[in-house]
Amino acid sequence: MSTPEDLRDRIKSDLRPTRPLRPPSVRALALIPLAVAIVLSVPGLRFFRSDMQAIGFLRAWGFSFGQALAGLVIVGVALRESIPGRGLSRGAAAATIAVGLAIPFALLAVTASAFDVGPRPGHAVEEGIGCFRVSAISALPALIAAAWLAARALPTRPALAGALYGLGCGLIADAGLRLFCEYTVPSHVVFGHGGGIVAAMLVGAVVAIAVARIQS
Amino acid sequence: MGPAAKKDVDPSEAELCTHMQAYLDGRIEAFDALYAAFAGRLRGYLLSQCRDATLADDLLQETFMQIHRSRRTYQPGRPVTPWFYAIARHVYLMKRRSAGRRRRFEERLVADARSSDVSHDALETIADGDAVRRALRGVPADQRQALLMHHVEGWSFVEIAERLGIRVNAAKTRAFRGVKKMRERLK
Repeated sequence: MSTPEDLRDRIKSDLRPTRPLRPPSVRALALIPLAVAIVLSVPGLRFFRSDMQAIGFLRAWGFSFGQALAGLVIVGVALRESIPGRGLSRGAAAATIAVGLAIPFALLAVTASAFDVGPRPGHAVEEGIGCFRVSAISALPALIAAAWLAARALPTRPALAGALYGLGCGLIADAGLRLFCEYTVPSHVVFGHGGGIVAAMLVGAVVAIAVARIQS
Repeated sequence: MGPAAKKDVDPSEAELCTHMQAYLDGRIEAFDALYAAFAGRLRGYLLSQCRDATLADDLLQETFMQIHRSRRTYQPGRPVTPWFYAIARHVYLMKRRSAGRRRRFEERLVADARSSDVSHDALETIADGDAVRRALRGVPADQRQALLMHHVEGWSFVEIAERLGIRVNAAKTRAFRGVKKMRERLK
């Protein structure tokens, strides 16, 4: 089957050498400086948790940077999802989201000695909202950068791609938050910290859908 | 991603990879080769999705245009076939969504006409399309063109902008103003 003349003319008029996008894993590395800045600035702009000495270097800094690295890997997965023909299977997407959401809780489990450290009585909601806000806001710079990287490709399932990079950016932000917040009570961790990550996921999905609509 | 990835693909895929690389280098002959390799298969796939031969032909053209616009997302050395099919599926789904938007737009027009106390006879006229055509005639030509291209023919604003040689925002504004004028005229 030969190319129709009108299609050929349109392609030919716009044809010039094109450099392919770098692989998703390489493009995700572009977020490393931003991720490091977020992890350092969340506690740096406020204060570090008071038990930093007690939990040790590895469980404080090591785990935080490990979580941020996991966030970057998930952003890389989102960028891969944005490449036509390289989308994740349903199982792989569900597993990525489940593992991503489980990471902060797993790290809390191996860091905390007891799960009873919480806000002063009567301040639980206020402190929870505070952590939620810090988590969601500090994820935004990385989320904007990730949205731009994904939009340069062609996400065929924008909601999923957006939710994935939102999750990755939420994890990066929470990696900084865990150096600042020492509370271990489940209600605070689930709503204040997990809520911030889920909010980043939702924002990512909404942003990706909006970008896809604008591009179409 | 070079030799290691190529080793895993079958010879025909390897050949397609070579064409794809040449196409990325800006050679139109490579595009011709890719068209020859995929047009029949993609048309069959699109036809199986939309079950309309004319629409499948339109979608095939649009798929190759989208392939051209998105060619930088192809990663050299990786199989070409899944990439082509994923874009074809994307184009089909976008078309289905735009058809849904068009249907909702037409329903809105009728609902608007109903809500403005138009007589039963007039509604029948609208159903016949006369009132819509009259209202369309009252819309300035540039706005009418953008409106029809987007809401009736299903072109995206980016494509309309390309075709008319205007900015995307201008295409959106023209279509929006055209719809507004039509609504006013249908009331």
